[in-house]
Amino acid sequence: MKGLADLYLQQLKTGVASIVQYRATLVIWLIGNILEPLIYLVVWSTVARSTGGTVGGYGAGDFAAYYIVLMLVNQVTFTWVMYEFDYRIREGTFSADLLHPVHPIHADIAENLSSKAVSLPFIVVAAAGLAAIFHPAFKLSLLAAAAFVPALVLAFLVRFLVDWMVALAAFWTTRVTAINQIHYMAVLFFSGQIAPLTVLPRPLQVVANILPFRWTIGFPVELALGRLTPIQVLTGFAAQAAWLLAAALLLKLAWRVSVKRYSAVGA
Amino acid sequence: MGAEPVIRLRELKKTYVVSEREPGLRAALAGLVHRRKSEVRAVDGISFDLVPGEIVGFLGPNGAGKTTTLKMLSGLLHPTSGELSVLSYVPWKRDPAFLRQITLVMGQRNQLIWDIPPADSFELNRAIYRIPPADYRRTLDELVALLEIEPLLGKPVRNLSLGERMKCEIAAALLHSPAVVFLDEPTIGLDVTMQRRIRTFIAEYSRRHGATVLLTSHYMADVEALCKRVIVIHHGLLLFDGELAALVQRFTADKTIVVQLKDCAADLRAYGEVLSCEDGRTTLRVPKAETARVTGRILAEFPVIDLTVEDPPIEEVIERVFAQGAA
Amino acid sequence: MRFLRLLGVFLRVGVMGEAAYPANFLAHLIDSALELGTALAGLALIFAHTATLGGWRPEELIALVGVYFLVGGVIGLVIQPGMEQLTESVRDGTLDFTLTKPADAQFLVSVWRVEIWKMVDVGLGLVVLGIALARLGERVGLAQAAAFVAALVAGGVIVYSFWLILATTAFWLVRVENVLVIFQSVYEAGRWPVSIYPGWLRFALTFLVPVAFAITVPAQAIAGRLTWPALLGAAGFAAALFAAARLFWRIGVRHYSGASS
Repeated sequence: MKGLADLYLQQLKTGVASIVQYRATLVIWLIGNILEPLIYLVVWSTVARSTGGTVGGYGAGDFAAYYIVLMLVNQVTFTWVMYEFDYRIREGTFSADLLHPVHPIHADIAENLSSKAVSLPFIVVAAAGLAAIFHPAFKLSLLAAAAFVPALVLAFLVRFLVDWMVALAAFWTTRVTAINQIHYMAVLFFSGQIAPLTVLPRPLQVVANILPFRWTIGFPVELALGRLTPIQVLTGFAAQAAWLLAAALLLKLAWRVSVKRYSAVGA
Repeated sequence: MGAEPVIRLRELKKTYVVSEREPGLRAALAGLVHRRKSEVRAVDGISFDLVPGEIVGFLGPNGAGKTTTLKMLSGLLHPTSGELSVLSYVPWKRDPAFLRQITLVMGQRNQLIWDIPPADSFELNRAIYRIPPADYRRTLDELVALLEIEPLLGKPVRNLSLGERMKCEIAAALLHSPAVVFLDEPTIGLDVTMQRRIRTFIAEYSRRHGATVLLTSHYMADVEALCKRVIVIHHGLLLFDGELAALVQRFTADKTIVVQLKDCAADLRAYGEVLSCEDGRTTLRVPKAETARVTGRILAEFPVIDLTVEDPPIEEVIERVFAQGAA
Repeated sequence: MRFLRLLGVFLRVGVMGEAAYPANFLAHLIDSALELGTALAGLALIFAHTATLGGWRPEELIALVGVYFLVGGVIGLVIQPGMEQLTESVRDGTLDFTLTKPADAQFLVSVWRVEIWKMVDVGLGLVVLGIALARLGERVGLAQAAAFVAALVAGGVIVYSFWLILATTAFWLVRVENVLVIFQSVYEAGRWPVSIYPGWLRFALTFLVPVAFAITVPAQAIAGRLTWPALLGAAGFAAALFAAARLFWRIGVRHYSGASS
């Protein structure tokens, strides 16, 4: 366990140093992660204003609050492992990773966190800026504040494991772009990014509850905004825990199978 | 008397400013705000002339200033100071009429497009250099024959071996029949047979077309095979400019004596530095001045089967030149 | 003219490169179709709740999506590959070969790479535009069509100049490929008419990253919403930015050649 902590610390240090070196990459991701929620914020606020009321239970101010919180939650939970994997396999660096005694996912998580340590302050500033511009309607609640952090942590883990599993497709096909595209679409629609889930037609909402994506973004956001009843909060946590377990088990299996294939097929 | 020089350098200088950073997290964060700079004198005042048709070898260790000089000659770099003219043009002005008469070949770097056959890259160059169709056909046929690349023309460049790629690179570079050819380490990374083939080609091409060739290389074999004249550069300064033979003459203080005896029992250490002994074949290094005396004594005092006196290998000579230059 | 001939050769070479892989076309068709599906699904979602978005009707927004794919396709076809190759060539030194050629280096680096399979996006964009035009009906006449073409050309020149300026920074910075990705991230914002964004964002998307000129303005032309002063303004901006890009390029090459400034 100490060894793992050590690894994370080292990775964090090198991670921060390399991020500082590549200021440009930092900026690019930031721009994307700020712009996308901002676009949907504007679009849905416009829709709400034109109908003169609410859409799916959200008024213009509610949409603003929703997307500002979503920006934060997304920044904390997002990953880029799909792009990494494709590169790693093509360059053959996976062979080196497989020789390490520790599961490569730990290095990836550490790298992810170290990058966010540097970028999070900027996102917070951006969120504050947007809050000043768009007059979001916040309903603060004690329950929300208490439950938010655990929900966020679980959301991060579930999203990371699911993304990592999807990324394993790179071991099985070179046509990963289609798979990444489908994954991106699924996240967009079913995690609450393209619209808060209550805005979606009923059938899609049902699908969203079955898939893991709602629990990685939509749930923590709705929770923070105080839009969930205590029962819904508990159900949410249960769903997160269930998905965490399922993802962990599936990942273990998928990893073993993928490594076998990688070693068989060769670098 | 002599022909008008086609390349002329006088006190050519090139200085760079580089930024540096120390390792560590503190320095990395500091580097976000301010970077420290220092000056590097890549070329520190060199002068020479080349006349038409010469093949000149440009020797020097890594970082000596060879590539920098070549880049200045081909118009890629602005000199910091000094005079420079190639074919009566000022290279860095990059006059299209000038560019049409020169070519640059860089070892291990390709101008050929990776995914398509060389034939298509050749077509590209034909369009860019505006080569008349008749000339193009003639030159292409000649190059293809001389380099033996007929079977390679239709294969994508990424499917060719390093040597095959280099041959096609050279062909692409010569399609427009340039008067001046700059070769920057053209044989680097190639196997011995391929190196020899390319050397033969360069010699033949220059003979046929009278092109002026400036060749930089690490490999003495390149220089020995192709260049009567060598220019040695180190730390941005000229150490030597003249015939290869004269280089060897001036910079060797020693000769090598190879004595064939019956076995290695005899101790020849008193006569000179014994480099090796195998089956009676002893290699001795002896100061030049001593050569005659030592040879005489060995012949007198030992049952010599055979004896030869040689110059040390040129690599050693060059290393000594560099070492002297560094001092 | 000479430039046209060289352009023709590069296009042919571009076709050579990818033509060996018809499988690529299919794969890209699937990817682009998925992206298009996402965009249209998003529109469907919006219009389930409202009749207009910021004054734009559904068929006008479909036209916008069509332009989004059309222009995105052209960018991916010839502008982006060239500029990405430029940054790589600056880094590995193969730009030296281009600079010793007796042809305008800016022209060479602008047309030397063609990702021919991006024609798929151009095709998809045209199809979507066609659908939108059918729904817009007689409202689109000769004037709109002419304005549309003019707006597209102006937008194209603006986008090209912007990319060139970004890529030229490679002469000073090290890892510039990432800087080019800025455009990708911001281009997404062009899927919606720039007029719905708050003023400061509208400004950024018009003059900082010229997405508005690339997509919204041509879409406005097709929808008959573009005023003549606006079109003239776009043309003027295009000329100015092109000149600025050329100047910056020449400064970049001088820097690369170590000319003392």
